[in-house]
Amino acid sequence: MTSANAGSDPGAAAQAAPVSDTDLVTLLAGWLPQQRWYAAKQDPDAVVGITDRNLVAVAGEHDLHVTVEQVLIEVSGSHGRSQYQLWLAWQPEGTGAEEHAGAIGTAGGLSATDALLLPAVSRLLITTVADAAALGPVHAVREPDADIDITAHGMVIGAEQSNTSIVYGHSAILKMFRRLEPGPNPDAEVHRALAAAGCRHIAEPLGELIGPVGDEEAGRETTLGLLTRFYPNSAEGWAMALSSVRDLMAEGDLRADEVGGDFAAEAHRLGEAVAAVHADLAGAFGGRSADTDELRRILDDMAIEARSAAEQAPSLTQYLPGILAVFEQAAAHAASLQLQRVHGDLHLGQTLRTLTGWLVIDFEGEPAKPLAFRRSMQSPLKDIAGMLRSFDYAAHQPLVGGRPDAQHVFRAAEWAARNSTAFCDGYAAAAGTDPRQAGGLLRAFELDKAVYEVVYEHGHRPSWESIPLQAVSRLINAGGSL
Amino acid sequence: MTSSPAATASGSPLPEPDASSFAHARPIAGQAEWYKRAVFYEVLVRAFADSNGDGTGDLRGLIDKLDYLQWLGVDCLWLPPFYDSPLRDGGYDIADFRKVLPEFGTVEDFVALLDAAHARGIRVITDLVMNHTSDAHQWFQESRRDPQGPYGDYYVWRDDDTGYPDARVIFVDTEPSNWTFDPVRKQYYWHRFFSHQPDLNFENPAVGEAMIDTLRFWLDLGIDGFRLDAVPYLFEEEGTNGENLPKTHEFLKRCRKVIDDEYPHAVLLAEANQWPADVVEYYGDPAVGGDECHMCFHFPLMPRIFMAARRESRFPISEILAQTPAIPESAQWGIFLRNHDELTLEMVSDEDRDYMWAEYAKDPRMKANIGIRRRLAPLLEGDRNQIELFTAMLLSLPGSPVLYYGDEIGMGDNIWLGDRDGVRTPMQWTPDRNAGFSRCDPARLYLPAIMDPQYGFQTINVEAQMNSTASLLHWTRRMLEIRSRYAAFAIGEFTDLGGSNPTVLSYVRHFDGVGGLDGEGPHTVLCVNNLSRFPQPVELDLREHEGAIPVELTGGVQFPRIGELPYLLTLPGHGFYWFDISGEPEQQ
Repeated sequence: MTSANAGSDPGAAAQAAPVSDTDLVTLLAGWLPQQRWYAAKQDPDAVVGITDRNLVAVAGEHDLHVTVEQVLIEVSGSHGRSQYQLWLAWQPEGTGAEEHAGAIGTAGGLSATDALLLPAVSRLLITTVADAAALGPVHAVREPDADIDITAHGMVIGAEQSNTSIVYGHSAILKMFRRLEPGPNPDAEVHRALAAAGCRHIAEPLGELIGPVGDEEAGRETTLGLLTRFYPNSAEGWAMALSSVRDLMAEGDLRADEVGGDFAAEAHRLGEAVAAVHADLAGAFGGRSADTDELRRILDDMAIEARSAAEQAPSLTQYLPGILAVFEQAAAHAASLQLQRVHGDLHLGQTLRTLTGWLVIDFEGEPAKPLAFRRSMQSPLKDIAGMLRSFDYAAHQPLVGGRPDAQHVFRAAEWAARNSTAFCDGYAAAAGTDPRQAGGLLRAFELDKAVYEVVYEHGHRPSWESIPLQAVSRLINAGGSL
Repeated sequence: MTSSPAATASGSPLPEPDASSFAHARPIAGQAEWYKRAVFYEVLVRAFADSNGDGTGDLRGLIDKLDYLQWLGVDCLWLPPFYDSPLRDGGYDIADFRKVLPEFGTVEDFVALLDAAHARGIRVITDLVMNHTSDAHQWFQESRRDPQGPYGDYYVWRDDDTGYPDARVIFVDTEPSNWTFDPVRKQYYWHRFFSHQPDLNFENPAVGEAMIDTLRFWLDLGIDGFRLDAVPYLFEEEGTNGENLPKTHEFLKRCRKVIDDEYPHAVLLAEANQWPADVVEYYGDPAVGGDECHMCFHFPLMPRIFMAARRESRFPISEILAQTPAIPESAQWGIFLRNHDELTLEMVSDEDRDYMWAEYAKDPRMKANIGIRRRLAPLLEGDRNQIELFTAMLLSLPGSPVLYYGDEIGMGDNIWLGDRDGVRTPMQWTPDRNAGFSRCDPARLYLPAIMDPQYGFQTINVEAQMNSTASLLHWTRRMLEIRSRYAAFAIGEFTDLGGSNPTVLSYVRHFDGVGGLDGEGPHTVLCVNNLSRFPQPVELDLREHEGAIPVELTGGVQFPRIGELPYLLTLPGHGFYWFDISGEPEQQ
């Protein structure tokens, strides 16, 4: 199945195909379930198939001591079919590779390693982008004015759900998408469009790695990796919000607006930043009004989801009539709904405080949804609701697992309300329209999100279930929302 | 108003003392650009030590305490004005540039101070107000009396009060206009500050010469430099706001040339309370390494340090440092936590360039803490951990630190004295009468010594802290000693590391080996500061220093080797670390 190759001598590279597909599948069987981005961890019946193998560099080229192979696999199981991208480094067994981080195993006298962890490979990738060059069928696009430092050392950071990120010194970050869907990647697409619009609230895109993915004859051109500027002296909004909450909880008698760690001014600026991003998204991709029928359909979908959620999470049952009433009320009162491209998965963890202001990051959309949905027109209220839910989570997170006293519960609600208000104020100031004036729609989106969260927490983190559940209770009581 | 015994007939200048009439202090062994490495110590002559028992500190008293200052490890004393003055503006209203305020002593006493300080390796600078004089200065008395005489054009006189309408009134509370009518000369005179402080007319070449001669007078005696007060206002011009005009910069270049040509050991430090991006103009032309002032105060940094600790966020500090432009080769910032009076939150900020300003100015506690004048220890509620954290940042951020007298022992203030005098109380030397500051009857003291139970001299004094190595005084001394051993703290390149935790401020100071003392090689120090009151972890990207073994500077303990993974440190609440991460120590 080996389709492509690298270097000046295709024949030689093809010959170097390290191990057979069968051996490779066996090798990966033990390794894949340990990867954070691998969705079929819990599925013993998942079937791994190799869909494409490309030798992109052989040992001796590009100052490499390993042979690098890009492998696309398809995993079928209870969750459906997913495609993944792997980069493997091969070298003779016994050279010590088995001891290193990212070691996968050995087959046919060769050791395999997760190539993205190797400095030589991360250097190869950034050089390829900087030169707008190609590695076999993988080719690179460099943004016209991109300033790329190819001497910066690459290092894989953290474990992400859908990708592996390599940080280059203090200058750039390459996000290699692990789960692939053939076709345009919303993250790359949105970054490019917003950069062209001069948006100051996104990470500057520097370039892309692109390659064919999919069943079609030549595959569909798909973003494999996105290189953006790295902001070294920055902090996640989530971490900053938590430190503010912690500061508040440590005070017995001070209100949220009195303690030093007050976050409201940051929340206000964050609201301004999100409004600016929405405006630029609408400018770049257009927007339209949903008519009454479409609006009705959106709210009906929320109701369907809520009914199904109540079956999965029994704690929701008692609230179901109230939930449905909120959706019904919104449908009755809201005249129209503006639709446009949105972030789709906005929360505090998707925001970055830099020295000059707030950035919104990760425009991939909801990871679990299909590509077409992630690129579709949706309501910006969805993003705003996501932020409001995130403030609520930040406020209550420190209470999880403990035995919260009334004082702390009160403070948490106060913090969430203060920062949600500041966020909406900032959004309204920048956008010119107040999302709270959308006739109950914001509350419907918030509730929809909270219902989803109850189901998620019920399945994954039962001790957290009370956070969204209390939000549901609050939101269905009239006046309980913004 | 002083009488004018030396007033002369129209046409002949006033006799003024010449430096050759006095002994000169012995110079200090030369070290080029010493101000870049120095720790400054602001000491009020009035407040430090009283040698003659009149209740007011004096120069002889200060001489008696030089051994203490040498032991502490400071490199340069900054003395606010000690010139003869009616003291209507804390001595910044100078009545005679060449005479010492009698209660402080004489010019001879000052030379003795210089000589004794130099013998201990300590330099001395003082304030010089060039923009204006007291209305009691003989130049002004002559100018109003005799418009045609040699001083007739020394000040800015007009027949009406309509000139320079674009120049703002700085002291809006007390001054209705920048023009005041003089009943003697029957004309209006120009003043940017108080009406009893007429502005000198720098358009008159004789004024510039007279000021430069004033510089020469003190430099000949052996002084090591000047803090130039209110420099942005020297010249005025119709259609401008009268600040930072090109002619003002030209005059500063003239002053610098005199220094470079005749007194190369001396330093000029500008007081220009503006944003760093504007202040750098006062360093002069970077192409020639700077040709105006050697140093400028970095005003916005100080309130940012307080904000950062209050917000438990590094961003207030990181932002202002990121906005701080590079400075010329010969230049250095002056940084401080507190001094004798600073306008802080009220300072600057006309534009929304700094959005954070609006945020913090709204915070009532920040206003109360920063806007009024208080000492470091009471501002930090006497919290030793915070005092140490703040001092550690002062000693390791870019610039030469300026300590304020008494802060090394954690002295308090007396808010009942009003915001000017509250931080100018007698230095607390001992638990004895008058805090050991003076032998006089306590009622004669210029200000009462602090006597409250927390900060009173019975509790907080040099003698007690000298006897305890755990004291703040000993701690401060140790930190100064460590700082002096690493050129990186003073002249190393500053890199903000960021890091995973927004409440932790981490930075590296790297000294490349150029411009150090003999035998000082390249080295790198890492400073990590926890701005939160809670313990914090932080992961730092130290890959550039992979393989180095960090050595903690206060105890010499080796920490785990820096690897390719993020370097994890944990800090106690308000804790800090200083590490030498220059390299791998010799293997045993």
